[in-house]
Amino acid sequence: MSAVEQNRSVIWNTSTPELTAKPPRNLGRIWIPERLLGWIIPVSVLLVWELFALLGMLPPNWLPAPTVVAQTIYQLAVAGDLWKHAGITIARVAVGFLLGASAGTLLGGLTGSLPVARKLLDPTVQALRGVPSIAWVPLFLLWLGIQETSKITLIALGAFFPVYLNLSVAMRHVDPKLLEVGKLYRLSTFQMVRRINLPAALPEYIVGLRSGLGLAWMFVVAAELLGASSGIGYLMVDGQMTGRASIILASVLLFAVFGKATDWMMNAVGRRLLGHRAR
Amino acid sequence: MDSDSFRQRGTVDIQIAYKAFAGSHGKLLALRDILLTINPGEFMCVVGGSGCGKTTLLRIIAGLETEYEGAVFLDGKQLTGTGLDRGVVFQEHRLLSWLTVHDNVAFGLAGLPPEERSREIRRYISLVGLDDFKYEYPHQLSGGMSQRVAIARALVGRPEVLLLDEPFASLDALTRMRMQQEILRIWEAERTTVVLVTHDIEEAVYLADRVVIMSPQPGTLRKILPVHLPRPRDRTDREFVRLRKSVHDELFSPGSTAYLSLENF
Repeated sequence: MSAVEQNRSVIWNTSTPELTAKPPRNLGRIWIPERLLGWIIPVSVLLVWELFALLGMLPPNWLPAPTVVAQTIYQLAVAGDLWKHAGITIARVAVGFLLGASAGTLLGGLTGSLPVARKLLDPTVQALRGVPSIAWVPLFLLWLGIQETSKITLIALGAFFPVYLNLSVAMRHVDPKLLEVGKLYRLSTFQMVRRINLPAALPEYIVGLRSGLGLAWMFVVAAELLGASSGIGYLMVDGQMTGRASIILASVLLFAVFGKATDWMMNAVGRRLLGHRAR
Repeated sequence: MDSDSFRQRGTVDIQIAYKAFAGSHGKLLALRDILLTINPGEFMCVVGGSGCGKTTLLRIIAGLETEYEGAVFLDGKQLTGTGLDRGVVFQEHRLLSWLTVHDNVAFGLAGLPPEERSREIRRYISLVGLDDFKYEYPHQLSGGMSQRVAIARALVGRPEVLLLDEPFASLDALTRMRMQQEILRIWEAERTTVVLVTHDIEEAVYLADRVVIMSPQPGTLRKILPVHLPRPRDRTDREFVRLRKSVHDELFSPGSTAYLSLENF
């Protein structure tokens, strides 16, 4: 293979999925499958990190070795703490997201389909959106106490805005040429919304759901950091109080894994809903 | 071309005094004094340059434009808006990207028992030659195929009039010629009244029983030219070429305002 051909094969391999897995690439003398290229940097960082920790060059209560973090997760799992805290955090995200996304869908759908509803509601929602959601925390704590209600309200608020905004805007910005087709067939306002506006807005709606879910995870961290006696965020605070960096790092890792996993699930649901549609 | 005189339905009576749009410099007159009767089963082509109001005229018949002075009648009944008695095909296919070919055609059909409904849908998909593409999505179709779906959607409710607004303008030359043959075949099978708006003189002479020539500013009827040539028509035939030239001359002759542009005013 000439150098040019090699270069070309790199381009092809990265763009066509069925080719990415197969041919091993000759990087100097080591054969590495292309799909493993993305792992080189994180694995190297972990190895160097572990090595430095072993050599005693990193203070263990500041930056414990990766194996220590893994061990911490293992211990939390064995003791049952992991399931308890993760379960509570996931439940908070689930309930908060469900409430926020439902409200966003309802109000977004309403303002997206009825001009009167938009004129009535949208200015208020937009004004509230201007407030950084975390700024509501003191009020929520004052009104709703330190229990679950205030946390779930905060998470729901975070999930609400992107869902509301994406659905409402997408439904209003449907191609007027398609609406004319609906008009030709004498669809009622309700039929028009159901058969044209809603399906046309679906891709943007799913994007809204995904960012809403992302924000739900963000706000569960905030809520649990600000005052909780359980949850992964509480584990972090606990780790900080007791000076155990390994617990903080383990919690960060858990948040990353759960956040990614739920986003992946939402994406899969979205793809199913969109079917074979273009875009 | 009155071989289909058995068919009574599908007479379009157009009596438009004027149609104006609100422009930035006051009112802009789009149409004036349009008196025209389209016979049942007739294939009528409307030609004219851009801005001559031919699309506006079609949209008035379709019921998409309702603000104008005058009236349009279908079989003696005054039209007040859109209706299932008229099928419309636009320059863009305007298919719904989330529906299959089958479901896009089904969109044009309401209120039939299920078996009859699916029979009708299949019949019209078949009529436009897309049997093998029922379950494809619009993005998987070529431009010509998309327009076929749009034609099937317009026809599936069995309208009395088929209105086509430059339906082949965005297709390549070869596809356009094939689609012109196709629309004639479909028209001969369905025998609906057809009004087709175009800026393509040859297309008009190839398809129409009568060619309506419009001139702009404001859009008025300039001439109505019957085409008494048997179908299928030969585009190189002497009489065909002569007719094409006479339409051309009508549009471009000295003193003709048919192709005057806005800059001349």
